[in-house]
Amino acid sequence: MEPLIKVRDLYKIFNIGSNKVYALNGVSFDIYKGEFIAIVGTSGSGKSTCLNMLAGLEAPSKGVIQIANKRIDRMNEAQLVRFRRQNVGFIFQSYNLIPSMNAIENVAMPLMFRGVGHEERMKAAKHYMELIGIGDQSMHMPNQMSGGQQQRVGIARALVIDPQIIFADEPTGNLDSHTTADVLDLMKRIVSEEQRTMVMVTHDPHIASWADRQLKVVDGHIVETVINESSPIEIKIKEENGEPPFCEVTGS
Amino acid sequence: MRLYDLFKLALSNLKRRKTRTFLTILGVVIGTASIVVMVSLGLGMSQMMLKSYQDEGSLTMIRVYESYERNDSSEKNKQLTELTDDNVERFRALDHVVEVSPALDVSVSAKCNGAESDFTIRGVSQYYLSQLKLRECGEIPKKDQNELSLIYGNQILYNSFYKTKTYESMEIDPYKDTIFLTFPASDYSEKRSNSDSESDTVKKQKKYIIPVSGILSGGKDDWSENSYNAYADIDTLKKFLRKLYKKALVPAPRTTKNGKAYTYYVYDTIYVFVDDMNNVKEVQKQLADMGFSVNSNMEWLESAQQQLGMVQMVLGGIGGVSLLVAAIGIMNTMMMSIYERTKEIGVMKVLGCDMSDIRNMFLFESGIIGLMGGIAGLMVSYLISFIINFLTSDNGESVSMFIGYSEGGSLSYIPLWLAAFAIIFAIAVGSVAGYVPAVRAMKLSPLAAIRNE
Ligand SMILES: Nc1ncnc2c1ncn2[C@@H]1O[C@H](COP(=O)(O)OP(=O)(O)OP(=O)(O)O)[C@@H](O)[C@H]1O
Ligand SMILES: [Mg+2]
Repeated sequence: MEPLIKVRDLYKIFNIGSNKVYALNGVSFDIYKGEFIAIVGTSGSGKSTCLNMLAGLEAPSKGVIQIANKRIDRMNEAQLVRFRRQNVGFIFQSYNLIPSMNAIENVAMPLMFRGVGHEERMKAAKHYMELIGIGDQSMHMPNQMSGGQQQRVGIARALVIDPQIIFADEPTGNLDSHTTADVLDLMKRIVSEEQRTMVMVTHDPHIASWADRQLKVVDGHIVETVINESSPIEIKIKEENGEPPFCEVTGS
Repeated sequence: MRLYDLFKLALSNLKRRKTRTFLTILGVVIGTASIVVMVSLGLGMSQMMLKSYQDEGSLTMIRVYESYERNDSSEKNKQLTELTDDNVERFRALDHVVEVSPALDVSVSAKCNGAESDFTIRGVSQYYLSQLKLRECGEIPKKDQNELSLIYGNQILYNSFYKTKTYESMEIDPYKDTIFLTFPASDYSEKRSNSDSESDTVKKQKKYIIPVSGILSGGKDDWSENSYNAYADIDTLKKFLRKLYKKALVPAPRTTKNGKAYTYYVYDTIYVFVDDMNNVKEVQKQLADMGFSVNSNMEWLESAQQQLGMVQMVLGGIGGVSLLVAAIGIMNTMMMSIYERTKEIGVMKVLGCDMSDIRNMFLFESGIIGLMGGIAGLMVSYLISFIINFLTSDNGESVSMFIGYSEGGSLSYIPLWLAAFAIIFAIAVGSVAGYVPAVRAMKLSPLAAIRNE
């Protein structure tokens, strides 16, 4: 089994004045198709930085990122945008719905970027909203919805383009514990049912424990990787490869 | 991304900030309107000028005079530059020349109902006559008439007859009043020996009554270069004069060295008619090179229009400044909206919206501002133009006097091309002003979407 995402020796160094901040200090790991990965760590540990580089939102200082056999680190911005349009769904902590569009238009927006016609994209949007259980709210404007409802719209928007990978940075960060559980449940269900790959960032170990595999980050290093042994996908990977997914554990 | 979706997105973004969009559009409206109105004034003026020149006389006509710069030239050369029938034929042979009409002038004194006047009877060709605009009842004198008949210029009737004693101006109606004409005495006598009968008869100042064939159109206040003359067919006039002056042909003939009157006609003016306004210059130059002194209305019109062109540029420049201000307004609005929408743009980029689509969306927004401003500005321009024309027409006599053009045409003229140009220009200004902000939006970092503030 070949990994979908391959990260090798990834560094991100910010220059603040004469100071150098090592936000990511050489990480290497593989992610396989169908996995639900949680990158977990304390604030400032470099989780978001890592995710942003995987999504091509930030350029690495050093290292290799390969997704579906394409070198993300070598693409220019226009290529990255196209790559995301074709392969990547993104769920934001603060939902980031477009306030002037209603729910279904927000969900359909990524398809609009692809040039899909109005009818067709509305149909797809409707489908995913129903899948997520907000089919009755398609005409609501973002400011008429609760945080949990907005985040569900956000999830539907990430799914609508049928992406290979979904990135989520603190997707439950603004939700209460009950809604968090609902949303995580939903995401997990979709990943396993639809064979998607999901990379989620969180600072909460409890939330991270929902994932198939956790990468624990401290000061830009991966210090521990925790595999959920009961997860079918992890069992399958182990069966096929004879070993758990590659992840270099370093540092402290 | 589909063009339709881009357009809709741009429109909905504009709708989100109605007041600001409205104010920005208002700026474009004012800019467009001022440019259009200014240019329309320039165009209207130039049109009026063209019209006033056309009223003065044909723009395709060249007047040819004998050049006096060549006084030293020998007899033979002189003959070449005299306005003779030979030269008429030479002119006729030139390219682009449609017709040539010599003009034979005789000044006469007229008496009518106790009032007196002096004017010139001008014998011209049938073609020249056919160019004259007559009042409805009149007709052009025929070519092979036996009897001389005249077309009176309208100003002769209104403004040339004065009562002998009181110097009161008097109007004449040649169809009702009898006009007695006196032809000048011949100042040529065929040697002293022959100072007998024929010159004596002229000295008696015989009065002639010559039938009216027509009157030039135009009222008391219409002037043109023709309106102070009377016109006759040149051949008929020659025949008539031959009876009066015999061999001398005309009252004041030129004489050869040995004192004999010329046996051919020398005209004061020859009119050359050219096929097109644009060829006037060329023909005029050829005539000048042949040694004649020439002028044409076209020549005056050209220099006048050159000056007017400057005025137009100044007017357009004034309008341009206000459109420039509007363009800065658009730029400012777009910059502000990008600042506000930084996060939204970031989200769109994260979700895979092409950079060029983001740029185009903003260009569409500023283009729509330009378009709407252009259309509204054009409507305002038509309104202002209408008001200007209303005030400067007969209804607003005082204003038109002030501006100096009263008769005919409109001061502000918006042709279709100007309207089309205005709208396209407004869109272009919008797009150009929106370009820098649009490129800036395109280059915004998608990370803005991730950061939480
Ligand atoms: N644009 C930047 N410029 C300079 N330093 C940055 C920048 N972005 C992140 N950093 C630094 O990199 C380190 C990692 O930041 P990162 O955002 O990845 O943290 P995080 O793990 O996501 O934290 P949190 O849980 O609070 O979101 C931090 O020390 C931060 O100060
Ligand atoms: Mg973070």
